[in-house]
Amino acid sequence: MLGREEWLPLARKLDWDYSYVREDEVFPEVISGRPWLPHSEWKDWEESFKTSYREYVDNQYEKDMAVQAVHDAVGRIENVQKLALPWLNSLKVHAAALPLAEFTGVIGNLRGARFGRDSAWRTMATFGALDEYRHTQIPLLLFHPLLRLDSQFDWAHKFYHTNNWFAVAARHFFDELTVGQNAIEFHIATNVVLETGFTNLQFVGLASLARESSDHMFERMVTSIQTDEARHAQIGHPVLATVMKHDPKYAQYLIDKWFWRNWRLFSILTGLSIDYLTAPDQRPYSFKEFMEEWIIDQFLRTLDELGLEKPWYWEILMDELDIYHHMIYASAYSYRTTLWFNFVMPGPAERKWLRQKYPKYWDDMDAVWEQISERWRTIGPGAENELAVHGTAMPTFCDLCQLPLSAGTPRKNTARVLVHDGRKYIFCSEPCQWIFLHEPERYANHKDVVKRVLSGEAPAQLPNLLTEYFNLTPETWGKDVHNGDYEWLGARKDSAA
Amino acid sequence: MPVPLYGFLQGDTVGLLILAEEAETLQALARKLQDAASLRVAARDPVRVVCNDKTMDLTMTVAQAGLQALDRFDVLAG
Repeated sequence: MLGREEWLPLARKLDWDYSYVREDEVFPEVISGRPWLPHSEWKDWEESFKTSYREYVDNQYEKDMAVQAVHDAVGRIENVQKLALPWLNSLKVHAAALPLAEFTGVIGNLRGARFGRDSAWRTMATFGALDEYRHTQIPLLLFHPLLRLDSQFDWAHKFYHTNNWFAVAARHFFDELTVGQNAIEFHIATNVVLETGFTNLQFVGLASLARESSDHMFERMVTSIQTDEARHAQIGHPVLATVMKHDPKYAQYLIDKWFWRNWRLFSILTGLSIDYLTAPDQRPYSFKEFMEEWIIDQFLRTLDELGLEKPWYWEILMDELDIYHHMIYASAYSYRTTLWFNFVMPGPAERKWLRQKYPKYWDDMDAVWEQISERWRTIGPGAENELAVHGTAMPTFCDLCQLPLSAGTPRKNTARVLVHDGRKYIFCSEPCQWIFLHEPERYANHKDVVKRVLSGEAPAQLPNLLTEYFNLTPETWGKDVHNGDYEWLGARKDSAA
Repeated sequence: MPVPLYGFLQGDTVGLLILAEEAETLQALARKLQDAASLRVAARDPVRVVCNDKTMDLTMTVAQAGLQALDRFDVLAG
């Protein structure tokens, strides 16, 4: 029997010439991706961390046992009940957004496992698919039982099966990234951009916030997932290097497009958790500080190593670091019944911290929070008053990212209308429009929530939209965590009187 | 028939869908957007309505201003 060092190179590099079919029939461009190149151009594809199936299974078993042990020790409902309310709602965001998104990663990796252009790449993608299946099962195992504590945790399973506006946006992103993607674009977009770049937000940033928030279960879960990501993320770099060699313009486009698309999603997913859904004394840094240190600097180094340029929209992105997720949070707070988790209103201490961290535009955001606070003061706290401190008109959405038209600043929203092939579209920002115009055939037929309402596909009245289309109920839709009952609201009113 | 428009109020954090009547004035349209955004933005007076980078006469109607379905209009502090 062959030893490991003899068997592994033989097993992971097992390619042959086809005699009965052409190579481009085995690996059609439409599903393997472009540029289409003969295998001779891919044969040197190498992953830096090599593993056998047996080693993979042994390692994963150990990791799963470690997660299970932490779950048994600190993951029970009574442990979760001790967590701060805002953080508990950050968990609900991730409980919904994470598991089935990871499952789409199974599909993307399986496409690489069949249509990747070298056998070593296909082997690694097979492990990647198994990883992503694990990343589906672990959060479902940990989060869905919390349904007994709080019915909003039902969205761990439910989220992606609804037409909730955020689910529409997340599906639009993940369907393109993983489910309907060719192998080359999938591995560049997922491994290089999302996993090498943005998941540090989750695995380093949120893990440390979880530790600060005494949520050791969440911390253990994401750090365990990170160990898999670190391995399968290496698939993308040699793929990108080959695309760079043969079509550098296309490589640059893929990086630019996917960095922007990832930024949009993660600025909401992680930005809100760091800057709003964590108690101020448990925030070691702001979302912007974390982005600058862990994402921006590292991403620029990676681009430099690969001979790529900074995306053309870099100045727009840098400006958005100061404002975009704040615009989204204030908008989402005022339409909180459209989501499945609860919101906290930033009080004077939080707003002071936010002003210190985000001085550039905070005056404008502070005016918004003061206005919302004033409504609570006028109406008075209480669950029965939630809808009196809530938006009434329909918010609007971008035809590319499907997220609210909340880009730019309160002084100047950057939304732009475009007429394309006789149809009118609106985009939140120049980069979203730029992506659309590069591949209109991919995006043009998708309807955002507003267009669905206007065409009669979705109900126009908010209560019907919430219950019939967004699959929410009065019990599960989002509320203010304190129903507007903040000590500081009363104190401010008394002192003003 | 109501005309669905994308309304952006200066000071707000999100664009809103506003159903306008062709015969209503831009002054009334601006008030409609201000009411819809009042949870987040305090009402201001006077205001300006801007369409396609042009400040419009507030006495014009939606139809006279040439606003059509899914156009953008902005309401700015006057």
